[in-house]
Amino acid sequence: MIPLALQQAAPEFFDLSSNMDGVGAWMVCFFTLAVYSFLYRDNAFYKTAEHVFVGAGTAFFALQYYEEGIKGAIWEHIERAVNTAPGEIFELGGYAVDPTVAIVLRCIAAVLGLMLLSRLFLPNSWMARWPLAIMVGVYAALKMTGETQSKLVLQVKGAMKPWATTDGGLLGSGEVFYQNLSYVILLVGLICALLHFVFTFQRGKTLGGISRVGVVTLMITFGSMFGFTVLGRYALLIERLDNLAGFTAPAYSLLASADSAGASSRVSQLISPPWIVAGILVLGLLITRASGESDSASAS
Amino acid sequence: MATVTDIDRRWVFLIMGLVVLITYIGGVAKDLPVSEYVDAYYKTIEDLPAGSVVMLSADFDPASAAELLPMYQATIHHLLRRDIRIVNVATWPAAPPYTRRWFDQIAPQYGKVYGTDWLELGFLPGDDVAMGQIGGSITSAFAEDARENKPITDFPLTAELSSNMGGIVLLVSLSAGYPGILEWIAQVGGRYDVPILTGTTAVQTPDLYAYYPSQCSGFLGAATGATQYLQLVTVGETEVPDDPDNLATVRASNQRRMFVQSWAHGILILLIIVGNVLYFRGRSQTA
Repeated sequence: MIPLALQQAAPEFFDLSSNMDGVGAWMVCFFTLAVYSFLYRDNAFYKTAEHVFVGAGTAFFALQYYEEGIKGAIWEHIERAVNTAPGEIFELGGYAVDPTVAIVLRCIAAVLGLMLLSRLFLPNSWMARWPLAIMVGVYAALKMTGETQSKLVLQVKGAMKPWATTDGGLLGSGEVFYQNLSYVILLVGLICALLHFVFTFQRGKTLGGISRVGVVTLMITFGSMFGFTVLGRYALLIERLDNLAGFTAPAYSLLASADSAGASSRVSQLISPPWIVAGILVLGLLITRASGESDSASAS
Repeated sequence: MATVTDIDRRWVFLIMGLVVLITYIGGVAKDLPVSEYVDAYYKTIEDLPAGSVVMLSADFDPASAAELLPMYQATIHHLLRRDIRIVNVATWPAAPPYTRRWFDQIAPQYGKVYGTDWLELGFLPGDDVAMGQIGGSITSAFAEDARENKPITDFPLTAELSSNMGGIVLLVSLSAGYPGILEWIAQVGGRYDVPILTGTTAVQTPDLYAYYPSQCSGFLGAATGATQYLQLVTVGETEVPDDPDNLATVRASNQRRMFVQSWAHGILILLIIVGNVLYFRGRSQTA
């Protein structure tokens, strides 16, 4: 096997400039295995990994949104507009505007953003409703124009497949036959699935039968989606395994600094981060389980 | 009395884990047949004239890297190898620091110069609105680049770009969900008549079939699509075991992953069948 994380050269123990230093390798192994330990049962290792992930994620996203949404969009924007010479054109949203207009418009946006925060202090105030109304309006307009085209008009057009002309019968033969057959299945499935959601009329034999075909079509679709979802989850599991296998390389082994050449590769692998972390986690789970059982026995 | 249906579900996890582990250890790299959608993705890039400008959007984060990163690496290699210039953007906040590494590593291999052959514009918050803004005017959406913090109009590459996606011949989105390819299609593809290619996670892949080929010229579906595309991009190249970032090595690694995945899927299907048989048998006994 050739894991993606394989490194021949020994990494530095702590080096923020490298892609993966020694500390990073131990952390990757601990957090990966701690999260998977939840499959056995909820435990302190999993909780630690969960809290660290949420904390680190929140800090990272807050910084990114500050950089791009506040610092870049307000301060730097205004700074650029101020530094633009009078009479020069400033570009805003694809339009050339006067720098003063650009500053005013951005200040209005900033004020609207602050008004949104007024909900924290005045829950029923009108102040938060104005920016919210603008946001909903803009978002609805954007969605209506773009999505109507892509998710309705062009989808309807896409469902009208041209019948392949053939010499051999109605459906043709060979590849043309399968192509035409798939169009027929698509059309029948589409109509039946749509009719399944018609509740205006009472379900008689005809509509009930069509609806049944629609349900089967929908179930096949959901089955396909489930299959794809499982495919994705397995891809993540295998990638994690690949990654952990990379950290069993001699470069990450505890023997690496001492005498990696003299030690057998199998021993070297066994005292690498994934195996040691896995051993500690298993031991920890067994100890907590044993202490849990003795607590419940003494309580009873 | 305990029955088979009362088995602790953790046994199922253990069986699946063992199957993945055993097949991973004994995995072999085999070529997969290339699907029509992957072939269309590859050919669309092949047909671009040298010197064209492509917008590459990283709409993912490390959580979906297992599926999308190989696509990302292969697409950068493919574009730069064909002397196509890249404007790199991101609509997911965790993407830019993550994807920068690959441009740093791949661009020098082809002697490409920052600002002339590729440009990193970074993350723009706002989801659909941001995409519409990028489509409307890239110079308004990004005043500065994300790498050197210089006005983007200072770079030779942006001199050829204009509003309404002018100068961009293709948009490639590697998408892990929302915001992603469906939003790019709605906000940019239809409005500005720009051809779109995409690579998606397995969860999002079923949605794409309805968009091909009218709104999406080709797509890479999940790790399978990534592996097929890697096969096309690395034809004739052999893996270099000492270099995990070599594209042929990535291809071989992906092919082995597909071997593991096939077995894991087979076991899952078997478990579903066994579960259903036990369920219906139990129901008939109760009745």
